[in-house]
Amino acid sequence: MNTVPQIFRILPEVILTVTGVLIMLIEPVMPKSASRKSMGWLSVLGTLAALGASLWQYQLPVGTAYFGTIQTDAFSVFFHVLICSIVLVSLLAAISSAPREMDTLGEYFGLVVFGAVGMLFMTSAVELLVVFIGLEISSISTYILAAFRRKSAKGPEAGIKYLLLGSFATAFFLYGIAMLFGATGTTVISQIADRLGSSHLPLLAVAGLGMILIGIGFKVSAAPFQVWTPDVYEGSPSPVVGLMSTAPKAAAFAVLLRILYGALPTLHEYWVPLLWWLSALSMTVGNLGALRQRNVKRLLAYSSIAHAGYLLAAFTALSADGIAAASFYAVTYAAMNVGIFAVVSYAGGYDDRLTLIEDYRGLAYRAPVMGGAMAFFLMSLIGIPFTGGFFGKFYVFSAALHSGFLWLGIIGLLNSGIGAFYYLRLIAALYSKPSEAAPLNQIPRPSFALLLGVFLTVAATLILGIVPGRVLAMAKAGAATFYSVSASK
Amino acid sequence: MHLVLFFIFGGLCVAGALNLLLQRHPINSALSLIVVMSSLAVLYLLLGAEFLAAAQVIVYSGAIMVLFTFVIMLLNAGREDRTHGSKAAYALGFPGAAILVSLLAYIFLSNSRELGSAELGAYIVSTGDLSNVLFRDLLLPFEVTSVLILVAILGAVALARKEEN
Amino acid sequence: MTDSLHLWLIPIVPFAGFLVNGLVGRKLPRALVSAIALIATLIPFLQVANIWFHFSSISKPYVENLGSWIVGGAFHADFALQLDQLTMIMLLIITGVGFLIHVYSTGYMAHEDGYWRFFAYLNLFMFFMLTLVLAENFLLMFVGWEGVGLASYLLIGFYFLRDSAAQAGKKAFVVNRIGDFGFLLAMFLMISHFGSLSYHDVFAVVAQHPEWQGGFITVIALFLILGATGKSAQIPLYIWLPDAMEGPTPVSALIHAATMVTAGIYMVARTHAIFDRSPFALSTLAIIGAATAFFAATIGIVQTDIKRVLAYSTVSQLGYMVMALGVAAYSSALFHVLTHAFFKALLFLAAGSVIHAVSGEQDMRVMGGLWKKIPITFVTMTVGVVAISGIPPFAGFFSKDEILYQAFISPNGGKILWFVGLVTAFLTSFYMFRLWYMTFFGENRTPEAKHDDHSHGHSHGIHESPLVMTVPLMILAVLSAIGGFLGVPEGMWGHNEIGHFLGPILDPASRVVGEGPELALAGLSVLVGLAGWAMAHYFYYMKPELPAKLAQQFSAVHRLLENKYWIDEIYEGLIVTPLLLVSRYVLKGLIDTGIIDGAGMAAGGTAQGLGALVQRVQSGNIRSYAGWLAFGAAVLLVVTYFGFTAHFSVR
Repeated sequence: MNTVPQIFRILPEVILTVTGVLIMLIEPVMPKSASRKSMGWLSVLGTLAALGASLWQYQLPVGTAYFGTIQTDAFSVFFHVLICSIVLVSLLAAISSAPREMDTLGEYFGLVVFGAVGMLFMTSAVELLVVFIGLEISSISTYILAAFRRKSAKGPEAGIKYLLLGSFATAFFLYGIAMLFGATGTTVISQIADRLGSSHLPLLAVAGLGMILIGIGFKVSAAPFQVWTPDVYEGSPSPVVGLMSTAPKAAAFAVLLRILYGALPTLHEYWVPLLWWLSALSMTVGNLGALRQRNVKRLLAYSSIAHAGYLLAAFTALSADGIAAASFYAVTYAAMNVGIFAVVSYAGGYDDRLTLIEDYRGLAYRAPVMGGAMAFFLMSLIGIPFTGGFFGKFYVFSAALHSGFLWLGIIGLLNSGIGAFYYLRLIAALYSKPSEAAPLNQIPRPSFALLLGVFLTVAATLILGIVPGRVLAMAKAGAATFYSVSASK
Repeated sequence: MHLVLFFIFGGLCVAGALNLLLQRHPINSALSLIVVMSSLAVLYLLLGAEFLAAAQVIVYSGAIMVLFTFVIMLLNAGREDRTHGSKAAYALGFPGAAILVSLLAYIFLSNSRELGSAELGAYIVSTGDLSNVLFRDLLLPFEVTSVLILVAILGAVALARKEEN
Repeated sequence: MTDSLHLWLIPIVPFAGFLVNGLVGRKLPRALVSAIALIATLIPFLQVANIWFHFSSISKPYVENLGSWIVGGAFHADFALQLDQLTMIMLLIITGVGFLIHVYSTGYMAHEDGYWRFFAYLNLFMFFMLTLVLAENFLLMFVGWEGVGLASYLLIGFYFLRDSAAQAGKKAFVVNRIGDFGFLLAMFLMISHFGSLSYHDVFAVVAQHPEWQGGFITVIALFLILGATGKSAQIPLYIWLPDAMEGPTPVSALIHAATMVTAGIYMVARTHAIFDRSPFALSTLAIIGAATAFFAATIGIVQTDIKRVLAYSTVSQLGYMVMALGVAAYSSALFHVLTHAFFKALLFLAAGSVIHAVSGEQDMRVMGGLWKKIPITFVTMTVGVVAISGIPPFAGFFSKDEILYQAFISPNGGKILWFVGLVTAFLTSFYMFRLWYMTFFGENRTPEAKHDDHSHGHSHGIHESPLVMTVPLMILAVLSAIGGFLGVPEGMWGHNEIGHFLGPILDPASRVVGEGPELALAGLSVLVGLAGWAMAHYFYYMKPELPAKLAQQFSAVHRLLENKYWIDEIYEGLIVTPLLLVSRYVLKGLIDTGIIDGAGMAAGGTAQGLGALVQRVQSGNIRSYAGWLAFGAAVLLVVTYFGFTAHFSVR
């Protein structure tokens, strides 16, 4: 019955793995003096090919491969496309901002590409062991990437912190899987849902659910598991932050959606209130934490916590609309956040020339295009209409309110009001008179790679804000194929 | 018999883990880890997982720990300095960990009847059964793990490379 | 009438102007920049005028669907525009007054830096404002609603190098966000209760269910009120408008007097079908309106900055409109929107002309005696002052009196509303004539004038504005003078054209027949207006030393008013400071200990290699983080396992 060759189901992953291996093979034989940026372009090519392959997967019939561990459906392909696009833009940002002579550049690109393989597996896996291995691949590559600024004292500290705390959280996730297995005797998501009803250990599954939520909560930096976020973002190179604040999170959200709606829909009485609290707490902690921040990367770290909260709000909706809203929000958030970190890595450089908000004073005059783009992304983060951020929030809260969570909507919208406050501080700095001692003078002209990356993200944010119909339809298709699994239960 | 063995090795495992944390010299910690790994292997055996027990002994107690001790010796790492801990860790971490442990204990105890118990040698897993799971049902995770190892190698190379200035 | 009206052109043309000026304006000569901006406003005005002339032949409401926007979720929304009587009035105001203000700005801003930026923003504002009133669904309306807030933020903060301007812009934006939040919530509730955001569908659903009274309708209405109080500067969210005067004066005239601030009035009038079902929401509106009108007027009495006086008078006049909405006299509110647009735009522009004349001074205490020097400005401003003070036959008299009368005849405490309105009318007349006397009469107190005292007042500095500024003033003065005749109520031998015009959609409140009370009340308010004038005349013309003495005598009251009841400070203390404190101490102290401040870390700040790594691992804060994680995990697991949350009502 399964006429599609199995390899087609994991084509994007295979392409990216081959790209990574190629980088590992070519890089050592390159002349010592040659810049490793060519490896960056090679990985861009590989990512483009993977993106193409993901898009091509849209026309494959829904089905599983490799003994039911992998599934291609509109949901997984949606996230495949998203993750490949994020990786593409953050590769461009890294190519333009990394120092030419950096000796570990080859490994950098290799790690990004391999990390992407892990994220892609996370989204297409329908078996928890594959999910876990994907999660580990993506996590370990980000731990290492976080430590890449070895010359700065903050770099290794960020890496180690991330590694230790992340392993702690991963352990919870793994334990959760084990408990689900204990309760149902399987790690295949659809079978868990089938057997849960007849399981004589439903409470074990509940404990497993809690463990999984802790693990994923850490990965998406939802409060109260967000403590690592500001430090790690501050210490990591900006292009890496752009990547790790979006792609692994998107993948983790996809996993959470699969597990909650695919495996544990019958336990929704347990997880809906939990997500309610996680969401409300994340929004509040994120926004309040950002209010007083002077460091731009820490500010954006708190903002990412808040946005994780907005996204989690959609999970409470218990409907295909909620899943679609969450997926859509993941796209808009990724577009604006990857974009803003592309600008930050351009302005601040690989070694963070600019750190404080004051350092960004007058950026919009020194580099009008980049400053304007940054202001635009900030407006989208605020949620001004005609930007993706507005529609993202709109769908999320409309889904949550549709399910009757009025207070969550109120908390969310109040929070987005607070959010405007600190984003505006940054916008105002961009457009105010440059300070005298401006490190801005070292800013180079934007390179082609950067312009391309920023252009792509601005265009995406704008399209999502003006004509979101197509992307939303794709998100809904993903939600539908996937929700029908649980709806039939 | 079964129960006695379990308590001996379970206790050994916990004691080894605690010792691992409390020792100030890395080599002592590494040796405690060997105790933990080995007693875990016995516990697996008690659960009827012969293959896992053997793999545990060969891979962890054997290969990995040997490597660990070599690295520690080569680096000649000294005693670590005593650092003062953090208030949050004492005020929140320990109670939190205590709650976690007691909650899990409660969950397993209250479900102990449904969980049942394993019999040593009740069923023997043949090589065929094992390879069926490992190389058929779970082929993909098995293969994908190689990417994970690649990532680890790349990372080690990148982080350990000498700075050239 | 089946021809397409091409409504989409109306907002798109200013948007094109914005794009051209915004993208390449920096390199264009000023004349070209202003030509582009003016044409981009003139075309919509001409189109609106054209529609107006054959308005009667259009079947209303005329809906133009430009295509599907979003299909998905629990609803769908189209790019759809709608034209009906209500929209028509708003369109005339926005394009007409907007065009005049654009013309005026070419003179007023002639010497400013960032000329192109100013006109680009102004056109952007026009685009969003026109979108707001033309929208056929709430979502598109909200796009305009947020967009005008954005444009207003950009324009208030136009002098961004001045710190206070940047602050004021931010304040306006953030306060408006609170209002927007109400609007958004109302929208979400509409989606879930009515299943649509299109005006047609929503009102049809409401009409089908006469049994819906109060309840969730009230909740929706209250959230809409929150939205309206933000945009239309009503209690409790009025605080941004006075600060918004940091922007250039034409901006104050266009955005903060004639158009944007009336968006809240428009929105309530548009959704009156919902408000009609909720007496509670209506009463809330009426009380908010009356209180704001009175409250702002009292503050206006002691302000010395000419633009701030006008700002508070705007807040006060908006209060009248909201009060009219609150007594379900929607068309009276719209009538006042119309006349107010004329006379308040006039007053602001004339004030701008005064400021222009005295080289940027805004403090009335150092003006005085200007009427001979700038006669055109003086005459036109006089018309504006008389109009706002409610003296017949000028525009303000008819519309304000209509509101007072509607309040008077409304049941449920209407007499109290009427009385508050009457007192406010007195205060309005007083502070407006105070402004008039302080600016134009008495000694000339400008610094240059003192300096040139010996050369017989031959001052070089003070000069009348150029024609591009005075012509719009004159046009607006004529409109302010005669605009009121559009809606002379029947009680005063008129025909209330505007009421009949809006009737089909706004369902004018049933009118108590009989001329007696209406005429008597009108007479009373005229008297009150004249009394205000007389008092101002006494205090600020005959005995100019008297106000200072009185201020000393009643220093407590005076201080209270001068400091605007300390509302800003109270908000600051009650809301802003606690938030910042929480952010700073609770979060920072407990969770976010920062990257290099853990125990034993300082020494290793620059160390490298394994030693540094080990040291870092041992630093205190990584343990704290792990502690936090463990604690959070424990709480979450306990809550999950024991299912406490299942019993918490979070809905």
